[in-house]
Amino acid sequence: MNCIRINDIYEFIEGSLAPERKEEMERHLSVCLGCRQAVEDRKLIAGAASSLAPFAVPDNFTDLVMARIAPAKALSPAWLIILASFSSLLAVGSVVLIAAGRNVIETALQASHSIWEYAKSAALFLAKAVTLLSLAGKAIRLLLESVTKGLSLADSLVSPGLQFGLLVVMTVLIISLALAARKKISLGD
Amino acid sequence: MNEEQDQVLVRRTLRGDKKAFEMIVRKYQQPLLNYVGRTVGERELALDFTQDVFVRAYSSLRSFDPRYKFSTWLFRIASNLIIDHWRKKKLPTFSLSEPLGQDEDCLTLDVPDNEPPVGRKFELGELRQRIDLALEKLPGPLRELFVWRHVNDLSYEEMAEIKGLPVGTIKNRVFQAKEMLRRILQEMS
Repeated sequence: MNCIRINDIYEFIEGSLAPERKEEMERHLSVCLGCRQAVEDRKLIAGAASSLAPFAVPDNFTDLVMARIAPAKALSPAWLIILASFSSLLAVGSVVLIAAGRNVIETALQASHSIWEYAKSAALFLAKAVTLLSLAGKAIRLLLESVTKGLSLADSLVSPGLQFGLLVVMTVLIISLALAARKKISLGD
Repeated sequence: MNEEQDQVLVRRTLRGDKKAFEMIVRKYQQPLLNYVGRTVGERELALDFTQDVFVRAYSSLRSFDPRYKFSTWLFRIASNLIIDHWRKKKLPTFSLSEPLGQDEDCLTLDVPDNEPPVGRKFELGELRQRIDLALEKLPGPLRELFVWRHVNDLSYEEMAEIKGLPVGTIKNRVFQAKEMLRRILQEMS
């Protein structure tokens, strides 16, 4: 046998040669140092390649993958029920209108026109209400600011003792007025 | 890798059991990261790609044909992702079914006289480091096959299923990858 081909060396290492060819190779290798070394060299490289260090997987790798997995995009049963109910209602309505001799399309157009008008009125009302509320808010704020300023001015001019006295007089006055009013009401004046 | 267990996990995932998919991720994260890492070379990129593989697998799980192995289906997703990456980066790639040019005949040559040693020249640890570096110089499609064979320990039949090519073609390309890597190691030393 002449010297062996490279392809046969790999087949020999992998043990995939036909038995006769394998025996022939073994006979040749026992007498040919060059081919024996060629086989040995390739075996060493294959062995080293098969024992390369694995890449380290980070501890949180699985969690990162699971966090990226989106939930299945399916219609929820609640939505399906609403959709089915609406479709059924529409179908029943159409049948009733047809049975009553009404034009379904014309009725649907009229209904949509009315809904549109209602929606327009509601939007106008909402806009006006928002404007009014905003104006009322501004007025209340101005009033509160004036009261606060007035009170702070009075606080700086009147002594604490006098302030207490005034508070007592005012309280007595309010109570007396309330009692007088109650008496008047009970007498039927 | 237990195929029957995979099929059970796939069915459970399709029924909405996320824990089952988590078990798939835990089972395949290491072999996939080893493959992607050794094929693309960059750790961070490899981690991102490996995550992408699982996310894609989850979103297209309904298209998985249970007549095939689940592991080969996962590797096919990973391989397609890597090929897309090579194309985007304009890295050289080619079809494994096309001839390799001048390297095509490297396996049909006889073992040369006085072939210089490569594997025998280094200690195992140093040889592994050199293989790591030499892998980067191997053309992408051949590097992928070499990694599947030596790092992931895939059979030629599994590789043929992933790539959709005849077993003989795949085996021939793996032998060429091994011989080219040996030549690169020889040039490096």
